[in-house]
Amino acid sequence: MADKIFFMTIQLQDVRYTYPGTLGKAVLNINSWSVATGEQVFVHGPSGGGKSTLLNVLSGILQADTGEVSVMGQRLDKINSRQRDRFRADHIGYIFQQFNLIPYLDAMDNIKLAHQFAKENQSSSLKNDIKSLLSSFDIDSSDWHKPVAKLSIGQQQRIAIARAMINKPELLIADEPTSSLDQGNRDNFMSELMTMVTEHNTTLLFVSHDMSLAKYFNRIDALADITTSGADR
Amino acid sequence: MFFRLAFKSLFNRKGSVVLTILAMSVSIFVLLGVEHIRTQTKESFNSTVSGVDLIVGARTGSINLLLYSVFRIGSPTNNIDWDTYQAIAKNSKVAWAIPISLGDSHKGYRVMGTSGDYFKHFSYGDKRQLTFAEGKHFSALFDVVLGSEVARRLGYSLDDKIVLGHGLGKTSFSLHDDRPFKIAGILATTGTPVDQTVHISLQGIEAIHIDWQHGVKILGSNVTTDQLESLALKPKTITAFMLGLHSRMATFGVQRDINSYRQEPLSAILPGVALSELWQMMGVLENTLRLISGLILIAALLGLSAMMLASIREREDEIHLLRVIGAPPVFLFLLIEMEALLISFLSILLAISGLYLSLLLSSDFLASNFSLHMGRSLLSKNNLLFILLIIGATMIAAVLPSFFAYKNAKLGR
Repeated sequence: MADKIFFMTIQLQDVRYTYPGTLGKAVLNINSWSVATGEQVFVHGPSGGGKSTLLNVLSGILQADTGEVSVMGQRLDKINSRQRDRFRADHIGYIFQQFNLIPYLDAMDNIKLAHQFAKENQSSSLKNDIKSLLSSFDIDSSDWHKPVAKLSIGQQQRIAIARAMINKPELLIADEPTSSLDQGNRDNFMSELMTMVTEHNTTLLFVSHDMSLAKYFNRIDALADITTSGADR
Repeated sequence: MFFRLAFKSLFNRKGSVVLTILAMSVSIFVLLGVEHIRTQTKESFNSTVSGVDLIVGARTGSINLLLYSVFRIGSPTNNIDWDTYQAIAKNSKVAWAIPISLGDSHKGYRVMGTSGDYFKHFSYGDKRQLTFAEGKHFSALFDVVLGSEVARRLGYSLDDKIVLGHGLGKTSFSLHDDRPFKIAGILATTGTPVDQTVHISLQGIEAIHIDWQHGVKILGSNVTTDQLESLALKPKTITAFMLGLHSRMATFGVQRDINSYRQEPLSAILPGVALSELWQMMGVLENTLRLISGLILIAALLGLSAMMLASIREREDEIHLLRVIGAPPVFLFLLIEMEALLISFLSILLAISGLYLSLLLSSDFLASNFSLHMGRSLLSKNNLLFILLIIGATMIAAVLPSFFAYKNAKLGR
């Protein structure tokens, strides 16, 4: 059992979460769910099915009411909120459907900001790291210092990957990252994302309702199978 | 990065931010402006007379005596006998005495009869003596020395001849037009009532009244100017006099002696004490001004708070993003506080430069119209205290929006 935890990036056991003031109706109710290190998991399900709550609990923004939440062997339910914030900055990358970047900052500043909250603050190579990362995502150097709101959605989502990867996270969570992209940009985005996580051996948790994207993944879970929200089991 | 984020976030919302900054600057401008004018007025008021240990007049209230002897406002209740003046001036503790005789005017400016000692001993401000911009003090019987404002407003220059009017009215129907005076000197600007005074010698006062009785000219009586010069004119009464003592320690003793002078009922006052008593009467006005400017500031701060609060609702996504990349809720709290402080700093800066500029542009106007000489040092201890207070109040005003940002951050929204 101990070995299993070691190789698991995500390990949930008897996790329940109820929003305050909702009369005990659990929005999250997970008996057992885990993701192995290096695995790329596609999670599909309708919105409102406890999806964002699950991701908030996994990233440590919310704390589960009961149960064990273990990420990279770190029990998130055992550490305080400040430590969880730090853990998230250090180990978890996050990409949303939209608003991945502070719109009025440029690409460089957005990535720098993400770096600032992480543990390793070696500033000497940071600038070069960001530049090579942006170049690898096909962002033209003339766009590095424009407010990201001025860039196209496709560019913004690629910068979002760069921002999520700057701290070399072991776990990358993607929450409907392609919903605002058209077909061409979507394929482009997916292939760049998959290349990136394979290259860095990053565990990927990809949440979407778009089943056509399932082809990129070898493990596909339905949200309804993970959590029996609302049921009293 | 923290500052950069706060700054760029404000810049991103320039419209509402600029309006908030303007509202804040206007209120800070009013607050600091009122405070500056208040302290400057008080300062120039308190420095109307200095180096004078006692002012003596006929028995009256101290403020009344101060008003007519120094500010040339109101009228004296009674005159003092010349002999009384002589007796007190000869007291061994008295270093110098300046007689003052009031009652005439020139085009609304009060005429003051005095002696040459006035220009030697009277001082104002920080023990500054009167100086002459042009000419010198009166030597002949019909010489006159003008305060700077009198000369400027009426366009007089040296050696011009002027005619004094009897009584204090602005348009006097009975003029001393048979005895014109020659301008012998014009004083430098002092910012005190001296600027509005026409000075002549006590002998001059006597001379223009020599053929007058009960306020009207006696017809037919015609003493020539030459005859006057040869007469040894000695005033019978004066209005008040100022005393300088050898030792300030003796002030209270001399004051007591004068107040209990047997031959005539007299009042001796300490000008400093009377000045502050007079200023206290204006305390209500002072506090009202302060209250109003304080309320204006509170209104502006509430505007700031409302603007920030509205921005929190627009920025839920931004807050969530910052949370996700690892910002603790406290970071969000501090970020909103910092944005409010930046607005406050910019407003203070804008208000101070605006105030400085308007002082610069209006200083001539204030000096010539109100004899108000504004110092340019805006950063007095008082104003620095106000600035700290404004910064503190800003932080308090930003607590509510900052707390909302914190709460949103905590709930993962």
